[in-house]
Amino acid sequence: MNEIKKDKFGTVVNKISFPLLILFTIATLIPIYILIKVSISKPADVLTQHPTFLIHNFTTKHWSKVLASGKLWPAFNRSFTVASFTALFAIIIATPASYVISRLDKKVKYVVILSLFFTRMFPNVGIALPISVKFIKWNLIDSNLGLVLAHLIEQLPFITWILVGTFETIPVDLEKSAMIDGASRIRALISIVIPIATPGIAVAALYVWLNSWNEFTYALYLSLSENTLPLQVYYYINRGGFFQTATYATILAIPVALITYALQKHLKSDSLGGAIK
Amino acid sequence: MGKFLKKYCFEIILILPLTLYIMYFTLVPVLETIRLGFLDGATNEFSLSNYNYLFGRDDFRKAFFNTVVIALLGLIAQLTVGLTLALMLKRAFKGKGIFRALILTPMGIPTIVSGVALLYIFDTQGYFNEVLYRGSEALKYLGLISETYRFIPIDWAEGGMRTILLVVFGDMWKVTPIVTLLLLAGLESIPGTVYEAARIDGASMWQTFTNITLPLLKPAITMTVVLRAVDLFRIFELPMILARKSTPVLATFAFEEYRVYNNPNVSGAASTILLVIIFTFILLYLKYVDKGEGLA
Repeated sequence: MNEIKKDKFGTVVNKISFPLLILFTIATLIPIYILIKVSISKPADVLTQHPTFLIHNFTTKHWSKVLASGKLWPAFNRSFTVASFTALFAIIIATPASYVISRLDKKVKYVVILSLFFTRMFPNVGIALPISVKFIKWNLIDSNLGLVLAHLIEQLPFITWILVGTFETIPVDLEKSAMIDGASRIRALISIVIPIATPGIAVAALYVWLNSWNEFTYALYLSLSENTLPLQVYYYINRGGFFQTATYATILAIPVALITYALQKHLKSDSLGGAIK
Repeated sequence: MGKFLKKYCFEIILILPLTLYIMYFTLVPVLETIRLGFLDGATNEFSLSNYNYLFGRDDFRKAFFNTVVIALLGLIAQLTVGLTLALMLKRAFKGKGIFRALILTPMGIPTIVSGVALLYIFDTQGYFNEVLYRGSEALKYLGLISETYRFIPIDWAEGGMRTILLVVFGDMWKVTPIVTLLLLAGLESIPGTVYEAARIDGASMWQTFTNITLPLLKPAITMTVVLRAVDLFRIFELPMILARKSTPVLATFAFEEYRVYNNPNVSGAASTILLVIIFTFILLYLKYVDKGEGLA
C-alpha cells in the first residue's frame, strides 16, 4: 500500500545522487591535476590571459631545474630529519603514558582524554609566540632540535589519543596471566603488551611523521634562514616563482599522498579527531 | 598521599614525561601569551592598552569579522557537503570503493599544497576565470548575453566577501574527506532495523532523514562541529597563502604583529581574543545546540 504513496523528494534524491557523486569526485581531483599540470607546462601555456586546460607542451624543465638548484635537498633533509625525530620522540614519550591512560577508570580516562583535546583548542599562534621568544633566548631558532620540540607540542596529544585507542583493545587479562606466571609489571608490559600494540604504534608514528612533514606555523615562527620544505614552497609563492612553487608543492605532497593512501584502511573515526588539520 | 604515591608509583612514572611536556610547552606558553597581552609594550606594566589599540585598528576589526565569518560559513558548508557525500557513500552501488578512495584524496595533500593549487585556479589569469570566460563566450555566441567581460577576470584575492569565500572553499576542499568519514562512521552506527521500521510505516525519504537520521547522528555531528570549529577559528596557512593582507584573520594578524611589527604584546592580546572566541563558541554550541547529548 505504502509504495503508492508519492515520495517526490526521494525520487529526486535517487535520480541526482550518482551524478552528484561524480561531480564531487571531479571537483576533488581538479586542483591536483592543475598543480601537476603547471609543474610540467611551458610558461606559454600557463602565464597567459587564457591558460590551457590540457597539457600541450610537456616539459621537464622546471623539475630538472628544481632538482639541480641545490635548494631542494637542504630543505628536504631538514623536513625529513625533523619529522623522523618528532615521530621517534612522540612514541617514546606517548607510548607509556597512553598505556597508563588506557588502563584508567572509565570516568578518569574520559577527563584525561578531554583535557588532551582541550590543549588543541589553544590557537597555535598563541603558543608559538612565547615559544619563539623562549627559543631565541635558548639559541634554538633555525635549529632542528627547536623544531622537533615545537612539533611535539601538537603531536603528543594527537598520538596519545590514537594510542589510547590501540591499548584499549588489548585485554588486561593478558598482562594479568603473565604476572601470575611470575613476570613483573614492566616485564609484562614490554614482552606482552607492547608487541601486540606495535602495528598500532607504527600507524600512529606514520601519522605524526606526516603531520610534522607538513607543519607550517611553528616552522614559520622558528625559522629565519633555514627553511623546511613547506616553508620553501611558501618562499617561492612570495617570490612569484610560479613553476618552482608547483614543483616544490608536488614534491612535498608525494610522500604524504603515498603514505595516506597506504594507511587508508587504518583510518578510524576515533583516530581522525586529532588528524584534522 | 604517600600511600597513593606508593601504590601508583609505576603509573605516575610512565605518565610523567607527557604531563610535564604538555605543562611546560603548552600550558605555560598559553598563560605567558595571556600575560603578554595584558602588559604594555613600552612600560611593561599591567594595562589594557593593547586591547584598546587593537579595537581602534581597522584591520584588526576586519580580521575579527573575517575569522568569525570564515568559521561559520565554513562549518555550514563542510557539514552540508560532508553529510551529502556521507549519505551518498552509505548507499550500496557498484564501484563504491573507487569513489570512496577518490573522494578521500585531499587527505593526502598537505594544506600548503592545496593552497598552491587554489592559487593557480583562482589567480586573475587562473583557470576558474578562464572557465567563466569561456562560459560567457559561449553564452554570447548563443545570443543569450551581449556583453561578456566586464566582470572577467575577477580578482579573487582582492579582499572582501569573494576572498572569504575563496578561503572557505579552500578549507572545505581539504577537510571534506575527514568530515565525510566522521559522519559516515556515525551513519553506519545507526542500526538498519530503525530504517526498516520507518519503511514499513511508510515514511518518506525526507521524513526518515529528519526524524531518524539527523537525531541519531547528533553525536557524530557534535564531534565534527567541535573539531572543525576549533581549526576554522585558528585558520592560518590558507589565508596566509591565498589572501595575505587583503583578508587578514586573527591568526595571521597575530603573526604579522609579532614577526613584521615586532610587537609581541599586541600579538599576545590578539591570540588571547582568538582563544576566548574559540572557548565561547564551543561552550555555546554544547549548551544550546547539543544540550549535552552529543559528547557522551
